Amino acid sequence: MTASDKTSADAPLAMAETITAEEQVALERMKAAYADGSIQGESSLPPPDTETLPHFVSEAPFDLRSVEKLTPEQEKIYFASQLTLMWWKFRQHKVAVWSGVFLLILYGSIFISEFLSPWNYQTRHSQHIYMPPQGVHLFHEGEFIGPFVYDVKRKLNLETMQREYTVDETKPLKLSFFCSGDPYNWFGLIPANNHLVCAPKGAPFYLLGTDRLGRDLLSRILQGARISLTIGLIGISVSFLLGIVIGGAAGYYGGWVDMVVQRVIEVLQSIPTIPLWLTLSAIMPASWSPILIYFGITIILGLLDWTGLARAVRSKLLSLREEDYVLAAQLIGANPARIIGRHLIPGFMSHLIASATITIPTMILGETALSFLGLGLREPITSWGVLLNEAQSINVVAVFPWLMLPVVPVIFVIIAFNFLGDGLRDAADPYK
Amino acid sequence: MKTLATALIGSIALAYSFSAAHAEPPEEARMLDFASMEKIIGKKGGAIDILMAKAKDVRQMTVYSNARLVHYDQTFTLVPDILAEVKNEGNKVFTLRLRRGHNWSDGTPFTTEDFRYWWEDVANNEELEPGGIPREMMSDGKPPKVEIIDSHTIRYSWDSVNPLFLTALAGARPMYIYMPAHYMKQWHSKYADADTLAAKIESENVQNWTSLHKRFGRQYRPENPDLPTLQPWMTTTKLPSERIVFKANPHFHRVDPNGTQLPYIQTVNMNIASKDIIAAKAGTGETAMQGRYLRFDNYAFLKQGAETGGFDVYLWPTGKGSEMVLLPNLNAADKGFREAFQDVRVRRALSLGIDRNEINETIFFGLGRPSANSVLPSSPLFTDAHANAWAELDVGKANTLLDEAGFDKKSADGTRLMPDGREFEIIVETEGDSQDTDILQLIADHWKSIGVKLFIKPSQRDILRGRVANGEAVMTTWEGLNRGLATPDMNPEELAPVSPVQGQWPAWGAHYETNGTSGEAITLPDVKRIAELYASWKSAETYQAQAAIWQEMLTLFTDNVYSIGTVSGGLQPIVVSNALRNVPREGIWSFEPTLYFGHYLPDTFWLDE
Repeated sequence: MTASDKTSADAPLAMAETITAEEQVALERMKAAYADGSIQGESSLPPPDTETLPHFVSEAPFDLRSVEKLTPEQEKIYFASQLTLMWWKFRQHKVAVWSGVFLLILYGSIFISEFLSPWNYQTRHSQHIYMPPQGVHLFHEGEFIGPFVYDVKRKLNLETMQREYTVDETKPLKLSFFCSGDPYNWFGLIPANNHLVCAPKGAPFYLLGTDRLGRDLLSRILQGARISLTIGLIGISVSFLLGIVIGGAAGYYGGWVDMVVQRVIEVLQSIPTIPLWLTLSAIMPASWSPILIYFGITIILGLLDWTGLARAVRSKLLSLREEDYVLAAQLIGANPARIIGRHLIPGFMSHLIASATITIPTMILGETALSFLGLGLREPITSWGVLLNEAQSINVVAVFPWLMLPVVPVIFVIIAFNFLGDGLRDAADPYK
Repeated sequence: MKTLATALIGSIALAYSFSAAHAEPPEEARMLDFASMEKIIGKKGGAIDILMAKAKDVRQMTVYSNARLVHYDQTFTLVPDILAEVKNEGNKVFTLRLRRGHNWSDGTPFTTEDFRYWWEDVANNEELEPGGIPREMMSDGKPPKVEIIDSHTIRYSWDSVNPLFLTALAGARPMYIYMPAHYMKQWHSKYADADTLAAKIESENVQNWTSLHKRFGRQYRPENPDLPTLQPWMTTTKLPSERIVFKANPHFHRVDPNGTQLPYIQTVNMNIASKDIIAAKAGTGETAMQGRYLRFDNYAFLKQGAETGGFDVYLWPTGKGSEMVLLPNLNAADKGFREAFQDVRVRRALSLGIDRNEINETIFFGLGRPSANSVLPSSPLFTDAHANAWAELDVGKANTLLDEAGFDKKSADGTRLMPDGREFEIIVETEGDSQDTDILQLIADHWKSIGVKLFIKPSQRDILRGRVANGEAVMTTWEGLNRGLATPDMNPEELAPVSPVQGQWPAWGAHYETNGTSGEAITLPDVKRIAELYASWKSAETYQAQAAIWQEMLTLFTDNVYSIGTVSGGLQPIVVSNALRNVPREGIWSFEPTLYFGHYLPDTFWLDE
């Protein structure tokens, strides 16, 4: 959209507000007279001492609506849906767009995380315990042979009780793509063994190193993403549902309902989060299976997070419910649920989406924090929090620092979500 | 004001030098034989720091100091320590003689009055000890006859043998049969003035005088700075505190070959820090000697800091019979599992199906020893047959055994079916740390080859105990025999069903503990035999008889695989400051019988600065 488009689009709107209908007709006539649409000077008459204007007669048939005709570009704007407008606005926020793309890729990857990871995340390699990250090379002795890794030799250092790995630069091991490797059940259902990339049998191929049982960290991070990323979505749905229902009721009914809800929210918000999480996760029976615990934790995170959202919903509703169209709906006889759901919520849905986007990272961090403290998810389920929990000893910091790498995706996802939320919030009001 | 202060300081200094002048070992001091212990004679003085995680850990000082009436010497024989002499007549009559001129840390003589006070006024006082006298003091259900011969000789005699008496006195958590009577009497209703006692009950905010007596009379956990002690160091700090200062006992009874009174080190500062950062602190040299709260996987980190931190890291084998054992619950509530685990073929097959070498390589850096849950090679009771019983990986034999036991059908994915048709999936409940979970993951993989599925269920200790006791848990993890370095005169109770917390036979253990009021009677003949042997050990009169019983119990225990051992001889990193002398490079880290550092007599450690 160019600047001139914008002004010409704005002009009629501005005028329509200030001039009366008669004037409008006169104005239209004049506009028809001056084809370029510009009106100069105060008077409608040409200035006396200039040359006489050339006579001009328009051959076109008179069209009463010629002014209201829009150029294709204008049409695009005038008839664009709110969503489209938001998208145009959002597109301008480059960082948000890239964050969105990054997140889409990540969320896309969780459907095929087993395929993307070189190994099954539980496969142990007893010959390669605590192996540091490894580089992928293209050229061997000056010759291009495609992506490959070098073999490593392990030595047990009985002095320091460490496994020392030396790269054997004579032996390049070529990587293959779209190959068969560790078997897995895709989504626990479909058995498969396809991987994006694998090393020859028995060869070391650990881009991000291995842990204390010789499990590939890259595979664990990729498959941990599935839990860590979805926990935010499930948690946010719970908190959304609660926030909209409770906040909606409070805002729409006002009075004592509002009063009670407000006090409950205040109480909940005054409790420090981490001890509350700890208490709630301690309540969960130890006999539950890890997957139940996973759902339990998402629900706990959601149960505690709805308060802010409920407040936002309430305040929006308080102002919107005074609008005439609400009164109209009430007079027609619509019930409160319909009025809230059909007439009020869409009025600030965009705002909700933006705030949800900003809340997801809180959930991800919540899960990570709980698992880090050993109260969240547990083996054999893996998540970024679980991985970080395993990395919290002084040994890792001092001797095996690569095990702290799961912190990197956590940071990037949180930043991306925040940028995305920022962009969405700006875009939520495209007329601004 | 200033003069007053100076006078005060002067008098304190005087008082201090006065008491110091009178500080001396007993006339009949115990001279340690440094040559046989390969120790070097040091010099007195200096202070060291050690790290602990909670205030309760002050009891570690009692464990480390190893001052007992009798204790185990370097060859694990019982020798008199605080006592001058013990005459043992057939484990029935014990005559104890005290050291001449031996004083409590406050300078009051240590005499048989202190034994009499405990026996008459504490152990036999129903208000103080409603549970009666300790089990170890009973033989055949009868208490001993106590005769005070003179101020330094006392005799305990039973009608039947009581082998537990001396071992209990030498325990890591010893039985105390004496108390500093002159100090404790002020808390005892029989001796103290009723009004003063009532006032103290009021001011200390307790229910009655027995609470006072208990609170101020804890000898194992030295919390009371006023309580006189016989240990090498005495506490000077009132709890709660983050830094607990122990000072040398000026009347300690041991001397070095030159006659210098021990302990060499005059001050031990116990600093309390969170369990998780003790390794980090130790790695920067904030402790002079540390083993507690360090783990094998800290070794590489500790070693990295050794040079700059000015310490060395030793590796001592732990004294446990196995680093982790699997306990199949023979009393499981689930009928299928109960019958499966009562079948010795199943237990043997499960044991044969574990690749202990891989566990050793992966977890213990190849430094442990694949072994059944039995005593360690340094124990006089060790035999290869016990250590290797069903501990070799033999998938073929395991499969044959399982086929014979009726687990011969298999499901589509190769898992064996139990005779009742269910898949043979064992849920192992563990309260252990990441090391135990890692070992279980390895075992889960190993058992796949014998068609058995293993699931790990992490839990908490209390929950786990409850689930074991009521039979809900079918298999649990625990640590191996605590008395991995057992000698024949040590209590073999760990091999027999004696308690409901034993994961392999909780119901039978409960039956023994409650004298048959709860739990179930033993049904398996071999377990019955073990229980009989345990009873006969308690009445065995000679060391040889005890040894024979131990051997038979070990044979039954290991051959029947009541606990599935993994790897023994795990290693404990020990951080020792470069300035500290006489800490052996090689030792054994166990609560019993080596009392962690206690066996190596920390009173002989000294600072070479």
